[in-house]
Amino acid sequence: MAFPAMAFPAMAVIAQAVNGIMMGAVYALFAVGMVLVFGVMRVLNFAHGAVFMAGGYLCWFAMAHVSPIYPVALLFSTAGGAAIGLVLERLVFRRLRENLSMQIVASLGLILMAQNGVLLLFGADALQIEAPSLRRVLRLGELGFTVQHLVILAAVAVAVASLHVFLSRSRLGIAMRAASQDIQAARVVGIAPDRVFAITFALSGALAALGGALLGPLFLVFPGMGDLPLLKGLTAIVLGGMGSVWGAVLGGLAIGLLEAEATLFAPTDYRDLVVFAALIATLLLRPRGLFGTAIRGEP
Amino acid sequence: MRYAYLAVATALLAPAPGFSQAPKPVVLGIVTAQTGPLAAAGRFQMNGFAMALDALNRDGGIEIAGQRRPVALKVYDTHCSPAEGASAMERLASVDRAAMVLGELCSPAVAAETPVAQDNSVPFVITVPTAENLTLSGNPWVFRVNADNNQLNQALGRYVVEKGLAPLAFIAWNNDAGRGGVRSMEALLGASAKVAYTGYFNVGEVDFSAHVSNIRRAGARSVMLFMDEEPGALAIRQLRDAGLGVQLIGTLAMGSARFLARLDAKYLAGMMQYNAFPPSAPQPRIRAFDDQYRARFKEESHGFAAQSYDALMLAADALHRAGTTTDGEAVRKALAATSYDGVIGHIAFDAHGQAAPPVYVTQWCDDGTRKIIFPAELASACGGG
Repeated sequence: MAFPAMAFPAMAVIAQAVNGIMMGAVYALFAVGMVLVFGVMRVLNFAHGAVFMAGGYLCWFAMAHVSPIYPVALLFSTAGGAAIGLVLERLVFRRLRENLSMQIVASLGLILMAQNGVLLLFGADALQIEAPSLRRVLRLGELGFTVQHLVILAAVAVAVASLHVFLSRSRLGIAMRAASQDIQAARVVGIAPDRVFAITFALSGALAALGGALLGPLFLVFPGMGDLPLLKGLTAIVLGGMGSVWGAVLGGLAIGLLEAEATLFAPTDYRDLVVFAALIATLLLRPRGLFGTAIRGEP
Repeated sequence: MRYAYLAVATALLAPAPGFSQAPKPVVLGIVTAQTGPLAAAGRFQMNGFAMALDALNRDGGIEIAGQRRPVALKVYDTHCSPAEGASAMERLASVDRAAMVLGELCSPAVAAETPVAQDNSVPFVITVPTAENLTLSGNPWVFRVNADNNQLNQALGRYVVEKGLAPLAFIAWNNDAGRGGVRSMEALLGASAKVAYTGYFNVGEVDFSAHVSNIRRAGARSVMLFMDEEPGALAIRQLRDAGLGVQLIGTLAMGSARFLARLDAKYLAGMMQYNAFPPSAPQPRIRAFDDQYRARFKEESHGFAAQSYDALMLAADALHRAGTTTDGEAVRKALAATSYDGVIGHIAFDAHGQAAPPVYVTQWCDDGTRKIIFPAELASACGGG
């Protein structure tokens, strides 16, 4: 029964690098969604974690009741997240666009409503997304990773690359970037802000729900599953620089990697301490984060 | 709250010969978690209370000073939060005038509730939390029916040493329950078993990959998991998927059919866990409770339910012997003198208010059933644990 210690500590570093990049990719996906909304609308949506959680539940529902094919469930969840984003923008955040403190209060209220809503609908037990093919273990010497690890990395890479193409090549993406830089000037050239804002929220919701649907099969689906990504996603945004999509991506990956590797050298319960110490050190050197730039109107 | 209404409605509908007015219900307070990460554990606890409530009211309630009075439960969801627990206890004592308070799931919440119970002279019977200091703090108003960390760990610790399962690794909740479990096990093992790795995680965390890497690196032969079902299932899956063939050792939350349903027999085969209530054990008292529980809730019974059932039944017994619901000191003394044969075993409180119910070690068999492996005199075959 005894299991030999790893021949090389380097293997532990590699194992944690893979785990860290995988979690970091999920944080990045989460952070990018928040950054889009903040960059375009100056809305800080703390309920983004609730949409992430909704993505997990939608994936479970799709696998159980719509189609057992995982890619179909991913699309279902992503579309569901986009719809939730649209509803949130239209019913809540459009009215609170200029009021940051009310945005925060509203999004905290939305978190409570969402978490207790799923408790009523799905019960208190955490749900397991049944996808045996995703659980298949791939062996690499002493190391073992599930297929889902690779699926997460691939899906996040595709999502981020698609977003980049959308923002840089499509008319709508360029309109979003224009609105994020100067809403009045965007209006002057014929961009309809309400439409841009609605699409931004839909896109943000889709990315959050995709994150929840990707993480669900690996771990569990439960009401609080968006809490940790919210904390780490916000940290990634600050680390990468508020308003920078690539900053959010790199911030998320850096946090995932750092917290995973830190556990090899410090007690596991100190990993958040390591992450936040690194964040503070970065902000002391670069107050706007790694890729942050001055925002118009800010001192 | 719904149990309170249920009990009052039952009392109003029931014939009460010799009385022109229905007797006033005896109000007992329940603190538990019905929402949040521990809602599933809270459901077991409430199921046990509900079964005991029905059993008591079926017989007309509790006979106090010659009068049978129905029982009503006032239930508060404390979410395992110390602040909400203290507030609920204050309300139960001062507004609801509960004769006694029972339940709770988390040691930190209990630590906040017990001083309030003492200040208001309300006896508090704990039914799930295991931190040993809860009954060692010298508060005479606190009683606990379930085994504490030391009692639970003793059987397991002895077994680990006997079978040469060291070096050990621990993965535990980063709270009183997890840290208390590790501390207690380390103290019990002393120098007789080397601890190769100890890792803590926060409630709600789901990624155990860091622990897997560290355990592999430390060369541990066995891994003890101080956590409940949900993180336990995730940790085991991640340990096994990563190819670690270590001996798994769990808590009582991991010895149930529900737990098996979260994984499968392949993941659990050979895993052992301490257990305060093996639901498939052949003892008649356990069989009777399990049958009744299955008939009502359509699932295997659970230790939290059995402990909570016993707590409410012995609370009723103490109130009957005290002959009052308003004299806290008399009720406390009656509780302290308890000698009750419950579902979990014989319950009597020591000078600290701690009971010493039987503790078992069970092991998962290849076919997904369990057997008792400790104590030796109660050992059973697969299917009897």
